[in-house]
Amino acid sequence: MTDITSSVPSVPPVPPPPAAPPSSGAGLYFDGRTSTRHEVTVTLGDGTMRIAGGDGAVLAEWGYNEIEAMAAPEKVLRIGRRHHNHHDLAAPLERLEILDSAFAAEIDRRAEYIDRTGALARHHRNAVVLWTVAATACLVLAAYFAIPALAGRLAPLIPFPIERRLGDTVNVQILATLDKNHSGEAFECGHKLGEVPGRQALDKIMQRLQDAAALGFPLRTIVVRRKEANAITLPGGLIYIFQGAIDKASTPDELAGVISHEMGHAAHHDGTKAVLQSGGLSFLFGMLLGDFVGGGAVVISAKTIMQLTYSREVEAAADAYGAVLMNKAGGDAHGLATFLAKIGGATEPGMTILLDHPLTNARVAAVNKLAAPQDLRPFLTNQEWTALKRMCSG
Amino acid sequence: MSSEGVSGTETGGGVRFLGVDRDYWRLLIRGAVLLAFTLGIYRFWLLTDIRRFLWSNSEVSGEALEYSGTPQELLIGFMMAIVILVPIYTGFFLAALDLGTLGQLSSGLAFVALAVLGQYAIYRARRYRLTRTVFRGLRFHQEGSAWLYAFWSIFWWTLTILTLGLAYPFQLASLERYKMRKTYYGELAGSFVGSGWRLFLRGLPMWLALFVPLALAVGVAVAEVDVHAIGAAMAAPREGASESGQGGAPPTTQRQAPTPSTNPGSVDSGTPGRSGSGSSSQSNQNNQKDQNNQGTQKYQNLDQAGGVVAFAILMGIVSVLAGVGMFPAFQAMVLRWQLSGVRFGEFALLCKLRTRDIYKAYLRFLGTALIFSVVIAMVGSTGAVIVKAIVGDNLSSGPGQIMITGVLLVLYVISMLGYSTIYRGTVELALWRKGFESLQLSGLSALENVKASGKPASALGEGLVDALHVGGF
Repeated sequence: MTDITSSVPSVPPVPPPPAAPPSSGAGLYFDGRTSTRHEVTVTLGDGTMRIAGGDGAVLAEWGYNEIEAMAAPEKVLRIGRRHHNHHDLAAPLERLEILDSAFAAEIDRRAEYIDRTGALARHHRNAVVLWTVAATACLVLAAYFAIPALAGRLAPLIPFPIERRLGDTVNVQILATLDKNHSGEAFECGHKLGEVPGRQALDKIMQRLQDAAALGFPLRTIVVRRKEANAITLPGGLIYIFQGAIDKASTPDELAGVISHEMGHAAHHDGTKAVLQSGGLSFLFGMLLGDFVGGGAVVISAKTIMQLTYSREVEAAADAYGAVLMNKAGGDAHGLATFLAKIGGATEPGMTILLDHPLTNARVAAVNKLAAPQDLRPFLTNQEWTALKRMCSG
Repeated sequence: MSSEGVSGTETGGGVRFLGVDRDYWRLLIRGAVLLAFTLGIYRFWLLTDIRRFLWSNSEVSGEALEYSGTPQELLIGFMMAIVILVPIYTGFFLAALDLGTLGQLSSGLAFVALAVLGQYAIYRARRYRLTRTVFRGLRFHQEGSAWLYAFWSIFWWTLTILTLGLAYPFQLASLERYKMRKTYYGELAGSFVGSGWRLFLRGLPMWLALFVPLALAVGVAVAEVDVHAIGAAMAAPREGASESGQGGAPPTTQRQAPTPSTNPGSVDSGTPGRSGSGSSSQSNQNNQKDQNNQGTQKYQNLDQAGGVVAFAILMGIVSVLAGVGMFPAFQAMVLRWQLSGVRFGEFALLCKLRTRDIYKAYLRFLGTALIFSVVIAMVGSTGAVIVKAIVGDNLSSGPGQIMITGVLLVLYVISMLGYSTIYRGTVELALWRKGFESLQLSGLSALENVKASGKPASALGEGLVDALHVGGF
């Protein structure tokens, strides 16, 4: 393999004077108008190089700053005209090919934009790498700070009907994951005859909390047959209370505390924010990442990381809202604290609820600090509470 | 036409591939590293490098091809694709929010629309690549309507799926004819002479090897179910007679809808709620009467059913193995057929690609990937040890979770990039190199004195292909 950039020619067939660089040489020329191959003699002048055919007729004359190297096999210098603007793209694709390495090196030396050492290409590539890495860093920062901030600002601005519709769409997926046996209607508690009093008792709690909260939009609560002590709130004020949460609650105030925490999520539009946030992330990365790693996995990982960092603040805010709401509604906010302490002790397997929640002790302390029971009125009579506890037993 | 300067002979040969594997690997590995650091944005540059390498090293009658496309063009094409796709995606997202008919239809509509757009993109991308392919100072170009191609292609795909792949050869022939007739080298129009029937006949043994086991499995399963139903219907009166007095409903009814009133077994056990499986309660109930007789019959049925399941699974495995094992042969067959059908006027290709070369390439891929997997596993366990050392046992804590997710993410990216690089360096390169080297050209004089024609096309198609992940290189 000959090194074309080397100034020492490797055993030339006709030995030229070794000291002086060759000022003319053989080449192959294509005029870009037909595919005919012209064997030419190239003569290097002061400002231009002249390409002449076998009969001596000049086929082309190129200035050294008008030409550049085109993609070619390693041992060939392929020269074409540089494109100055878009219209040049349609211009004939004149090509000159030089095989002799010493002659190629001499052209390289004279032509500004021909660079066979690759320094020009390397420089270009480094710029590309530098700027794309910078852009990537920018995108990651945007994902981490700008998207949550944007989602936070936008979520409260979304009109309630749209938020509700969003919630209904999310609900289809949530139900599919929660209701594993596809039991449909039977998955919800409170429909059977024996369960109706329990449902009425729950509605009583809901009524009092909603009156105190004055959210400005209606809430819906659904109790579902799931063993975990959990509750979730979807966009548009749909609250799922798991059977396990009712089982774990020992007083109406504990249950009301959990519900007021969830109402905090509704009031803060946390569900909508989460949807906007994950949509924004998918969009940002899903589009830009090629399919080289299947962008989806990266997006999911990024979401997990973000959820882990952001959910603490979100849960703490919902706790605070819940405690204040309980105070307002004449309930005992300590109920929320005792309930949190209770579920902090034993998690149900397979649920990440506690991973999503800030350390229980800190939460309990924060809620207890805010709790200022005044004008305490019981949420339910003993009879109603018993009915509520049996709401899913039917 | 002059024959001056044509170094290749009119019959056979006339092609060389000059590329050195090591150079290609260097290009790929550098590209993979940069892809990781730029979250994939570098792909436009890597793709251009790859094409430049492959094109430049492919020599036809002493003259190497030239790829004149640039990464900037691909980047612009991608931006154009985003401009087109963002409103479409937004529209479908909003439609999906609709709870009525529109919402229900939206995912199907989106699938169809994106499928059509994907085929459209493939045709446009081909146009871009052709207009960036220069040979002897002339570019190739492609005419024809990308929309027409897209609808035509979707029509064929539907037919192919409905016929379980039997229409595939005719699909390829038809689409290839369309593409090649619209393909020009300068003013010289291309054509495609490959016959769908020929490919069909060659591919038929493979199709049979794939589908006969599946058909057997399905057939036996269907036959078995019928036997069950018939057997049950025939056994019912006899059972009723032998049970004398129990007065049970026919077993078939029990299996479908056992109710406390007609199922003596449930009455006996006193659990009307346990009406889940009719057959088990039936066998319970009959155990009291003639245990032996019923028991053996049940076990025979079980044996038979087990046999059917085992047979179906076996046949499924045979089919999958056949599919995986034959894939390289299939690929080689299609490539041979496809390249041998290409014509530009009198200029003709004949592809003598050897199937074993493609198998060798896949084996190389598997071997390299295996070594790479071992390395990744070692790196992964080291990472796990380090994470463990830092966060201790508190893996469920916030920082622990973040670190674990981070390590997994890094491992995932490295391994995916690694596998795709290995695939490109082994299988893709071999397909190009071997496919090209095995060509025999004839009628080379047709390429002499061709007049220039065609303008460079935009890279919109490339951008859409990229954004829609419809593949191709």
